[in-house]
Amino acid sequence: MSDPLLALDDVYKSYGEEQVLSGVSFEMDAGDVDVVIGPSGSGKSTMLRCVNRLTEIDSGDIYLDGDCVTDADTDVNELRKQVGMVFQDFNLFAHLTALGNVTLGLRKVRGMDKATAQEQGYEHLEQVGLSDQADSYPAELSGGQKQRVGIARALAMDPKLLLFDEPTSALDPELVGEVVDVMRDLAAEGITMLVVSHEMGFARSAASDIIFLDDGRIVEHGPPEQLFQNPQAARTGEFLSRLETAHEEE
Amino acid sequence: MPPLPLQSDWAFVIENLDLLLVGTGVTVALTAASILLGFLLGFPAGAVEVYGRGPLKRAVETAGVVLRGTPLLVIIILLFFGLSVSSSAFVTATIALGLRSAAYQSQIFRGALQSVDEGQLEAARAIGMGRFQAIRSVVVPQALRRSVPGFQNEFTIVLKDTSIAIVIGLGELLTVGQNLYQGGQSTAALEIFLTVSLIYFVLTFVTNRSLDRLDDHFSIPGGERA
Amino acid sequence: MGTQESTTAGRTLRARAAGLTDQPLTLLTVAGFWTWLVVRWTNDFLLDGALIDRNTSFFPTAPFEAAASTLGGLAASLGPVGFPVGWVAGFFEFLAASIPYLPQLATGVWATILLTVLGIALGFVIAVPLSVARVYGGTLTRSVALGYTELFRGTPLLAQLFVLYFATPLTTIIRELPAVGTGFIPAQAFWVAVIAFMLNSAAYQSEYIRSALNSVPEGQLTAARAIGLSKVDGIRHVVLPQGLRYAIPGWSNELVYLIKYSSLASFITVRELFERTDAIASETYRYTELFVLAGLLYLALVLSASLLMEYVEDRVAIPGLGTTSR
Repeated sequence: MSDPLLALDDVYKSYGEEQVLSGVSFEMDAGDVDVVIGPSGSGKSTMLRCVNRLTEIDSGDIYLDGDCVTDADTDVNELRKQVGMVFQDFNLFAHLTALGNVTLGLRKVRGMDKATAQEQGYEHLEQVGLSDQADSYPAELSGGQKQRVGIARALAMDPKLLLFDEPTSALDPELVGEVVDVMRDLAAEGITMLVVSHEMGFARSAASDIIFLDDGRIVEHGPPEQLFQNPQAARTGEFLSRLETAHEEE
Repeated sequence: MPPLPLQSDWAFVIENLDLLLVGTGVTVALTAASILLGFLLGFPAGAVEVYGRGPLKRAVETAGVVLRGTPLLVIIILLFFGLSVSSSAFVTATIALGLRSAAYQSQIFRGALQSVDEGQLEAARAIGMGRFQAIRSVVVPQALRRSVPGFQNEFTIVLKDTSIAIVIGLGELLTVGQNLYQGGQSTAALEIFLTVSLIYFVLTFVTNRSLDRLDDHFSIPGGERA
Repeated sequence: MGTQESTTAGRTLRARAAGLTDQPLTLLTVAGFWTWLVVRWTNDFLLDGALIDRNTSFFPTAPFEAAASTLGGLAASLGPVGFPVGWVAGFFEFLAASIPYLPQLATGVWATILLTVLGIALGFVIAVPLSVARVYGGTLTRSVALGYTELFRGTPLLAQLFVLYFATPLTTIIRELPAVGTGFIPAQAFWVAVIAFMLNSAAYQSEYIRSALNSVPEGQLTAARAIGLSKVDGIRHVVLPQGLRYAIPGWSNELVYLIKYSSLASFITVRELFERTDAIASETYRYTELFVLAGLLYLALVLSASLLMEYVEDRVAIPGLGTTSR
């Protein structure tokens, strides 16, 4: 049996006195879509940021495709070429067009010439349905469009794994759908995704596994049917029912 | 009948207009050289204040406080008569104005660099850019655009302060005016100094308008929300 | 955009000053500086040199000279590794050379402070109506105010000083006034400089106040009108008290600028700090020491001003208003 694509082994992280991750371990295989849920402050985003080392862990190991990426001598830039990230508040490069955002990494990191980079950039914008906005600047795009450019920017690096950090939580409700649709397409194409999100519709239909994180620990980890219909831990059930209620109120 | 004094005073100014224009040329050259020197030193200094650490950062900050806390007049005199950095008044004035401007430009760039959202740097790192490359390709281009208004202000300040080079006898615009008054026609004081002021005014006005254009030209369509 | 930019700039400048003024060493230096100045002025101006002769320094030079020569000898005997000791020796040499000139420079500092304070205070009196005219005035008052500020901000202060001093009868008029140039009231050139600084500073201050007034939300004046205040009263009692607080960071910058630019008054013979330094330097040819000393005195004044303005800003701060609310 081959190695899992991503493996976290007993990962600990604290900010000063505050313990954020306390022994987190899980694995996911290539092609998996894992959705991480949990109350705010439970360590979801921190866990995600540890994977591409925007945040450094205190102890434990993280493996990508069999290589330990938390070794001191790992080149973080090499790692990040293989792990794309989509941010909650987009973080599009404000001075570049949509196409410029997608091609910057291709040109400056992958060393591609401009013409090739633009050709590929168009393809990725096409993939998220935005090739007609290639020349628009971020401030000229809607929130949903910005996030789709953000996804195209991450896809362009042809990553082994895509990280999504609450990709829809900064969006107005009516714009969530277009981003979720793109994510669903990517999942169907077999792209490996680790997603922090409370979009239950997406989780139900696209997730291979759901990870429920609370207080820095994985409380429950299993396929969506199991978590939604038959949660093993009492806290999982409580959290999910609160989430449902909140959604109905909206 | 002798001509009216008023007419002859204006006539005196007009006769010497070519001298005033030469002085204007010196003023413009001195401004350009000083701003350039100030940019070459001030931009890295601002970056050191934001991204640097340790003794280098402290040294840059201290130099900035000293240069911003001392009158330009003192800096010019010290460089010319005290330290004698150059026997050329133009070179000395350029160094003095340039150093002082660097201290202010560093603050403009520091503020602009700090105003770029941290997420921009993070997103650049997330696609695999090194720290230096991320700063260079993503943060600096945005910061340079944001520093245009501050830079505009600094440009006109330097332009006006070139007049202080009169203290070391550099033949810039105000010095020419002073020479015309003291060595030429003392009754023409008002006419001379008003003409000189008018030329300065035109220079600052034109500079401001051109830099407004620059600001419009480099502004990002739709603003900067990303 | 302009308003936002200047607010940001003001805030960062303030943060920068705070970094330096928080240091105990800075506070101690400033306290020592002012103790020396006040004792010196009291002795020279009020007590007519009762404590010590007007031209004699409080500090003896001999110990510093001795220290300098001892350390200099030590540095020489240490050879190439002696250079840090050499620097300390140089510092003591500098002190020994500077001390005799301190009394005269203290008199210059008095004129510099007086020039700055009068210039900025009188300028403020003109700046407030100017800025209100810019923001709330009709077409005519607005353009008059705009013309004034553009004219004074678009030409060098030195040229303005020259126009007033050489090209207007201001000097003659002031000279004829009673008491000018007698006792501790300075001579006419000083007053010409005050007028120039007042006119110039008014233009800059009005810009700071104008952008501060613009940052007061429009609803504030509407609400004032709604409770029955006239427009003028609404501006006076509601908009200005808020706007002037927003203007403090910009105003602090202006104070610092004016301290430094007051040195230009030396060109029209005002006996302020720079002019005193220059006069002594051209007699003694000790340009480097004297102008370094002058630079340090200006720096102490600038630091004092930053400290003072931070204190003022804290005193008048209202929770949720101005720099703290953003």
